Amino acid sequence: MLRKSIARMTARALGIVTLSAALALGLNALRPGGLPLLEAAQQSIVAEAVSGGEISIQDAALLLLSNRAVFLDARSVGEYVAGHIKGALSVPVEDYEGAKGQIKAAAAGKEAVITYCDGMFCPLGQELADLIRTDGIENVRVLKNGWELWTHENLPVSTGPNP
Amino acid sequence: MSERHLLCLLRLVLGGVFIYASWDKLLHPADFAEIIRAYRILPAVLVNPAAIVLPWLELVLGVLLVANRWADGALLLADLLLVTFWSALAFNYARGLNVHCGCFSTKAVAEGDMGWYLIRDGAFVLLGLAAMFLHLRAARRSPQPDSAPAGALTA
Repeated sequence: MLRKSIARMTARALGIVTLSAALALGLNALRPGGLPLLEAAQQSIVAEAVSGGEISIQDAALLLLSNRAVFLDARSVGEYVAGHIKGALSVPVEDYEGAKGQIKAAAAGKEAVITYCDGMFCPLGQELADLIRTDGIENVRVLKNGWELWTHENLPVSTGPNP
Repeated sequence: MSERHLLCLLRLVLGGVFIYASWDKLLHPADFAEIIRAYRILPAVLVNPAAIVLPWLELVLGVLLVANRWADGALLLADLLLVTFWSALAFNYARGLNVHCGCFSTKAVAEGDMGWYLIRDGAFVLLGLAAMFLHLRAARRSPQPDSAPAGALTA
């Protein structure tokens, strides 16, 4: 008898768990302000740190060091050769069409694409970012005044024609 | 007081505790999720599902215990939950992590007094185990037909 009632108790307990979970998940999906079911402990800084499509130097540096972003240098090839963010690809805005395939390949598996230029008033980073966004690549951010900030903070750089 | 009456009383008390405990968490799932996260026991992906499901499970358990429907299964789950919650508290107490209990309220007001939580929740654990003990004794003594669940007040 005891064994039988323990078996029944267990079966009912499982039933209650199933019922409650179905009720909870169903109502959570319906109620306004329900919790997202799957959410990492922290939002990635890629999603968090952006306002107006820009990214801060801290976040950009973090993404470079953790190898989670592709950097695109929107300046002229000459400036790129003289010095660029380590690993960045040279993509002057006028060469964008030709570099499209290369950018897409490089962005695969990364969390963000970060464009940069030099100086507060250089529009090239923003222009390049706009072009990339219209081609459907997500998480494109502009590092405003990127080169100056980057070198000022002694972050990793390379010289020459290669990334 | 007969054992049957005592079991019935324990059932009502535990049911009431669970219903009361579920309410604030049902209303504020996001706050409850923060509290679960602060316990630093569940992996991050399980925090939100736990914050969603646990309050409903508590409410359903409480209602079943009070209404005496499937009360044996509800009692088993209630005991498992009580022991789990208490262990989680004790674990954090032992490693010096002062967590907000999140037992009855999701308001992260004053620092929780862990000692008090441990004693209070420990008492609930004892009540739950006592109820289970009485239930199993009754089940062993009398073959229970399905229509007379645990602690039924039918003589």
